[in-house]
Amino acid sequence: MLNTTGLSLDQAPPITVPFAFFLAAPFFAMLVGLLLVWQGEAVLASRWSPAALAATHLLALGFLTQIMCGALFQMLPVLAGAPVPGVVPVGRLTQLCLVPGSLALSWGLYAGGRVWLMAGGTALAVGVAVFASAVGIALARARGVPRTLMAMRLALVALVMTLLLGLMLLTALLGAQIPRFSAWVDLHLAWGLLGWAGLLIMGVGYQVVPMFHVTPGYPAWATRAGAPLVIAGLLGATLATGMGRVDAAAWLSLFAAVGLAVFAMVTLSLQRRRERPRIDVTLLYWWTAMLAILASAAAWLLGGRGELVGVLMLLGVGVALPTGMLLKIMPFLSWFHLQHRQVGARRFAVRLPHMQVFIPERAARVQLGVFLAALLCASLAAGLPGHPLAGWLGRTAGAALLVSSALLWWLQLGCYRRYRRIRCQLG
Amino acid sequence: MTSVITDSFTHDHHRCDRLLAAAETSLTLGDWSEIAPAAQALVAAMEQHFRLEEETLFPQLAQVFAVAANPIEVMTAEHAQMRALFEDLTAAVGTRDKDACVGILETLHFVGQQHNYKEETVLYPMADGALRERGEGIAACLPAQ
Repeated sequence: MLNTTGLSLDQAPPITVPFAFFLAAPFFAMLVGLLLVWQGEAVLASRWSPAALAATHLLALGFLTQIMCGALFQMLPVLAGAPVPGVVPVGRLTQLCLVPGSLALSWGLYAGGRVWLMAGGTALAVGVAVFASAVGIALARARGVPRTLMAMRLALVALVMTLLLGLMLLTALLGAQIPRFSAWVDLHLAWGLLGWAGLLIMGVGYQVVPMFHVTPGYPAWATRAGAPLVIAGLLGATLATGMGRVDAAAWLSLFAAVGLAVFAMVTLSLQRRRERPRIDVTLLYWWTAMLAILASAAAWLLGGRGELVGVLMLLGVGVALPTGMLLKIMPFLSWFHLQHRQVGARRFAVRLPHMQVFIPERAARVQLGVFLAALLCASLAAGLPGHPLAGWLGRTAGAALLVSSALLWWLQLGCYRRYRRIRCQLG
Repeated sequence: MTSVITDSFTHDHHRCDRLLAAAETSLTLGDWSEIAPAAQALVAAMEQHFRLEEETLFPQLAQVFAVAANPIEVMTAEHAQMRALFEDLTAAVGTRDKDACVGILETLHFVGQQHNYKEETVLYPMADGALRERGEGIAACLPAQ
């Protein structure tokens, strides 16, 4: 039987579900900006400093995971014909755990309070469990492009693995003895960045890269091998870490990173052959993120500092790509929901503005420029510890991240306010 | 199972994608003697595609496969959304408002892409299954490539 769900907007969640996630995310990036202004050198000089651990989790959970959750709730009905069951309460509960959980965990990592660490870990465990169960049900029922679905399902598995490893590491911080602690931290990082974020980027990319800029489709060899390669590397690294083979684990994680790097190269080559000539801000963000993946893989291969790899992956990919996608998705969703309402209400006298009225392209370009300055300064500070300018670079990176995130939020808010105003006119 | 409808109508979507890309290219060059015909060619191609679906493909499919009625209604509603954008585009070309043309084409692109995705993955395979050999005749009405 053919699956006809997802054809109608009635299957999509109310616009407030994804928008609540999208509008909350920039605050976490602003917090990281403030932290960098205040202690930029400490954050970027050592990944083990309390400030660096806090900044990492604020970005990975508060910004990246937050947007990925909101986007999945929105995209699954359309891309995979699979609405998430109980999407409104599930969305609210997920966010109600994710926001305070990320803040509490980050504060606990920064200031070292047991209560904060336990509260953060518990809230995040509940939030991920709720999210993964509901999205897991939707993905199990989903029908659609098999390669995209495979990557998304594996990404969800990786999220759960990241959580379990994170909880294990938390018990160590609370006093339990875990041998080879730093190897388990690396594994947690690999599952989070390459697995959860990397695989989801691949799955979504297979669909949206050809759609957004009218490029040829991804070659079959790339979509067939990509996600399994990443997951095989991560599983191998987990096995090796468990057996105490730390060197082998590092090589196997690198294997997974190469899988993501191949995806980045294929993506850049497809985008070069795009038929839509415009170089819009979303395309520029995609280029930034794909180049950041390649740069971080190269830095890793050449034995570069882990802090630089982290900055490139977290800021260059984890902040850049979701930002670029939001700048397109939010205007489109606003327009689409309003159009649907207009047809339903038969209020054709109200003229709907086009997408770029919701988020003006020129303002978005300014936002991109400030963000790129943040990325550049943070990369230099992380790559050149102890340099006389490192402190200044770290603080400048922080200020630029603070401004670019505030600008992003302002653009998002403008989009939502325009949506609300026209919705009122439509009755 | 035949896939003649899926293949040929998907092919026609790509023809429209290329015309939209060509209209965007003409806008970047800024020559209004090029922009107006490029926009007209895009609107004409999409209208032709919609008409074949609404006057031939959808009625024939609805006749033999009642389940298709709801998805057909959704697809037809989205055609109406895009037709509203055609009017906006024609008006913006008339007043030579470049920013509006860029924004309208972008909106049309995104509405069209998600619409095409749904047709290509759900409605056309459904039509291939239900209409079988009649698909050849319908596909033959599409413009030659």
